[in-house]
Amino acid sequence: MTDLFGRVGRWALGQLKAALEVSVLMVDTVVWLVVAPFRGLGFRWRNSVESFVEFGVRSLPIVAMISFLIGVIIALQASYTLAQWGANRYIADLVAVSAMRELAPLMTAILIAGRCGSAITAEIGTMKVNEEIDALVVMGVNPIKYLVAPKFLAMVTAVPSVTALAMLVMIIGGWTSSVFVVGVETEIYVTQTIGAIVEKDLLTGMVKSVFFGVAICWVGVYRGFQVEGGAEGVGRQTTASVVTSIFLIIIVDLVFTVLFYYV
Amino acid sequence: MSMETVEPVIVVEDLQVAYGDKVVLDEINLAVQPGEIFVILGGSGSGKTTLLRNLVGLMRPQSGRILIDGLDFTSMSAQERMGIRRKMGMCFQGSALLGSLSVADNVALPLREHTKLEESTIDIMTRIKLELVGLSGFEDYLPSELSGGMRKRAGIARAMAMDPKIIFYDEPSAGLDPIVAAGLDELIRTMQSTFNLTSVVVTHEMESVRIIADRVCVLHKGLVAGVGSLDELERSAHPYIQQFFARRPDDSDTADADYAQSLTSID
Repeated sequence: MTDLFGRVGRWALGQLKAALEVSVLMVDTVVWLVVAPFRGLGFRWRNSVESFVEFGVRSLPIVAMISFLIGVIIALQASYTLAQWGANRYIADLVAVSAMRELAPLMTAILIAGRCGSAITAEIGTMKVNEEIDALVVMGVNPIKYLVAPKFLAMVTAVPSVTALAMLVMIIGGWTSSVFVVGVETEIYVTQTIGAIVEKDLLTGMVKSVFFGVAICWVGVYRGFQVEGGAEGVGRQTTASVVTSIFLIIIVDLVFTVLFYYV
Repeated sequence: MSMETVEPVIVVEDLQVAYGDKVVLDEINLAVQPGEIFVILGGSGSGKTTLLRNLVGLMRPQSGRILIDGLDFTSMSAQERMGIRRKMGMCFQGSALLGSLSVADNVALPLREHTKLEESTIDIMTRIKLELVGLSGFEDYLPSELSGGMRKRAGIARAMAMDPKIIFYDEPSAGLDPIVAAGLDELIRTMQSTFNLTSVVVTHEMESVRIIADRVCVLHKGLVAGVGSLDELERSAHPYIQQFFARRPDDSDTADADYAQSLTSID
């Protein structure tokens, strides 16, 4: 029994320590991103742009392809039910609303977490194993400033940008199957879509995706710094990074849905 | 001026370092004189790397002080540490060059981060530092394209980028063939004599100690077993120092007993 309490206690202490470390990391990142550039301490803009290309531009093909297919699938699924009531014209509404509010932000975030969150962890973890992080510290170069702040800025801008595109492509996917398989007229599809899009949906989708970006970057970085003991450690933390960030994305999603639609 | 009146560059006072409850360094007292090559010698697990990590500020000790140029390195603010760090350079065991940057960019990194020099000036300084370690012509190579010895040389060039007063070497000749290792020993000597650099070298290789060391500190199980010149230490009565210098294996009975104890003891 004492053993059980001991375990629970150690687990709780471990979680508390992790929460503390993440908070320090968060504060440091924000300081190096917001305060430092104005005090002449510099910000690596070039590096941030390179990261944006990696996280955003290079994610476009896979995100676009998956978004298109999801759009096709939702329209087909919707038609299966709506056709019974002769309400196929509402496929467009359903696709638009679900893409903007939920599916585009979520799918984009999950794909970027898998593609780039893991890469951040692997990069920082490998650098830690090779003593490169220690080398930066000894040279008097802050690793948060050098490695984390540029990636953070890139991630919180890349995720919403890609999400906006995913929304559009998902709607196009829905249009494709509605028009060519179900037989809805393009004109009806377009009018219905425009009628269904509400400013609030676009806004909530965007705000959510900024916070998804925050979650992906911080989890990736935190897990990277957690790496201990060689290649095996890098592998373990990289896996953990993807799992943790997907879990956090869902939690953030839940919180914002409640905030936006039920408060 | 005699040695006694010169202010030491590094002073370690009553240093104690522990991982959890396990004390790995205890009662460490050292003074490193300006311009000397001070070797920290010890077997695996003697705590020599831990001592080095404390000296460069990568770890904080449980108690005791480390003074660099008379300033307490252990208790100062992060900002003050930054200032001190510009006086220090460090060469890591695995060289620790940033894998994503070319050799020249690695050497230029501290200059780009800490100075507002023109890119053309940085370029010239980088070439000079690489020339110094015999790596001119390798500016655009990635660290992964270099051999182990060349990577160490590039690491030295990077450590020298800010013209430090003190340079630390972690196992400079580990994992290198004898010829390359001898070349590195020579480079360490040249650096020290050309720039009057205070050098602290952590190693376990007796061959290179004989070539480079002005003074040696022998660590054994987290304690200082002896400090002095090689001659003084060779005359030392300390059994571990005698054993280390004579390259004699552990007495197999005691070694086995230690091993058995290490397996059965509970931390």
